[in-house]
Amino acid sequence: MEPFLENVLNRAAFGYAYLDPEFKVTDFNERFNRFTIGPGSPKDQPIMALFPETIGLEAVFNDIARRKIPAFSLENINREQPGERTVFFNISFYPTETTDAPLFCLIKEVTQTAQLTQQIKQKENEILLLESLLSAQSKDITLTILGESRPIQRIRQMVEKIAHIPTTTVLLQGESGTGKSMIAKAIHYAAGGENLPFVEINCAAIPEALLESELFGYEKGAFTNAANSKAGLLEEAHGGTLFLDEISEMSPKLQAKLLSFLETRKFRRLGSVKELEVNLRLITASNRDLYDLVEKEKFREDLLFRLDVVNIELPSLKELGDDIIRLAQNFIQHFNLEFHKSIQGLTEAACGKLKNYTWPGNVRELRNVIERAMIFAENALLDVDDLQVGRSAKANTSNTPLERFQLPPEGLAFEEIERQLLLNALELSNGNQSKAAKMLRLSRDAFRYRLEKHQLL
Amino acid sequence: MSKSLVHQKICMLGIFAVGKTSLTRRFISGIFDDTYLSTIGVKVSQKLLAPIETTPGEFVQYNFLIWDIEGFEKSSQQLHSYLTGATGALLIADLTRPETIQSVPDMLATLSKAAPDARPVLIGNKADLISADSETSQKLKKMAKKLDLPLFLTSAKTGENVEASFNKLGLLIAT
Repeated sequence: MEPFLENVLNRAAFGYAYLDPEFKVTDFNERFNRFTIGPGSPKDQPIMALFPETIGLEAVFNDIARRKIPAFSLENINREQPGERTVFFNISFYPTETTDAPLFCLIKEVTQTAQLTQQIKQKENEILLLESLLSAQSKDITLTILGESRPIQRIRQMVEKIAHIPTTTVLLQGESGTGKSMIAKAIHYAAGGENLPFVEINCAAIPEALLESELFGYEKGAFTNAANSKAGLLEEAHGGTLFLDEISEMSPKLQAKLLSFLETRKFRRLGSVKELEVNLRLITASNRDLYDLVEKEKFREDLLFRLDVVNIELPSLKELGDDIIRLAQNFIQHFNLEFHKSIQGLTEAACGKLKNYTWPGNVRELRNVIERAMIFAENALLDVDDLQVGRSAKANTSNTPLERFQLPPEGLAFEEIERQLLLNALELSNGNQSKAAKMLRLSRDAFRYRLEKHQLL
Repeated sequence: MSKSLVHQKICMLGIFAVGKTSLTRRFISGIFDDTYLSTIGVKVSQKLLAPIETTPGEFVQYNFLIWDIEGFEKSSQQLHSYLTGATGALLIADLTRPETIQSVPDMLATLSKAAPDARPVLIGNKADLISADSETSQKLKKMAKKLDLPLFLTSAKTGENVEASFNKLGLLIAT
């Protein structure tokens, strides 16, 4: 090699070698030797013995030597060095002008760049992996209406039929925990709504005034705290599905407003005169008999007629027989992914226990029972003792005094309870106010304020 | 009786985080670590397989050079170079991520183009996390049937079917 070129390659930290027609090293520089495996000088050794990454490339090398291809490169080869340090390098092969050494091998260490790329790729992949796992889990749980029992088959058929009619209003009725939200999502996804909005709200969980603004949106200045305009859930759900859970808890005023929307598919944001029109599927759900509520004049009959276009009655879990086990197996798979566990299933005795229990909390309760069992289980199969149902579960979970506390039917005076708590805390802390305040998770000032209020200072 | 030692280049193909590195480590060293560390480029490891009787009294022993390749990307230019000269490949899908199955036909096409003689085996990894009759497993079985590929449901974590899938590849190459 020309001294000038050799100098350039050495200064640029390249390793190089010339290979003869049998791919044996005829000449090399010191840096080339840093990446070879095995002891001894590379001189006269075949490249395959020095770089196992080149095994299988004999045909390629022949093509390069014959100038059939201009070059060949392998990038980012990982090589573990002593001390478990991994170095990365690129190795390339080029033809030369000489017949006794027709191949030129060039090596460049790229560890720093590869490490940076690895860090970026790691983050990217972790995000993609989480998204992928979430998507797979949501599909497993919400898109698959599991079960072979007749009630489940009937629901599956209904969902498939409803899915083809995009704006049908659906009313889901069933006990608490029977999976009304899951069925609502199943309808949405079965209708091809994967990329469309699915908006869900529990009417019982939000105060009336807030529910109205959440549903219909508001304009800036519509009420005291409306600093900016906000789109409501009706607008958010445009093109997709709006799921109103516990519709029975909606106030008469809002019922009227919802009825008006259902009749015209138009509404106004709070504080606006402009009518907006949206296209969505409305799914409502209730664990109370809405016809009964109509009789008691607690729910509008005209609204019920609008909502009850298609009615799906969800069975309680105890009606599902062997499907209880199928659902349990599905939850086991779900929690295997979430908890990184490898539980294979249920013992026969455990299956019997699940099938014989009455499941007042329905699927939600089953899910909780399996989740709890999966957290503590150490064997490949969940057994009877792992499954804590009913009272045994409550006994184990109701460990805190707050969870055990029950308000008596005749009620209690809140001020009396507060006074009693202050006295108890003082007694337990031997009169030390700082300790007593800490026991009640109060600041010392807040504690003293309450002592003063109850004239205990 | 005669015995010959032959090097075989085996490529691990699959999109990111399907368990290529974990399967390789399980096969080579018998260890498993569930920490995910994305692979950049390629890492080549070696393992000697038990001798295979090709004809009565004739044995061949393979030294598998296992190419643990970074996550499969259809458009990767470098992938073609990595696959060149391969005699076998494990096409790996993740049983917990149904979308990883969709890339199997692309992987097979890329392999066929870069290494036309390479023998493929289809792998559904992370079998410890999912039952054999799950929807994803069924999908992969259908895919294997459609593409006429031998299929193994493996677990790098428990070691289930890992050795068997590499041995199958050895047999395919030998015959």
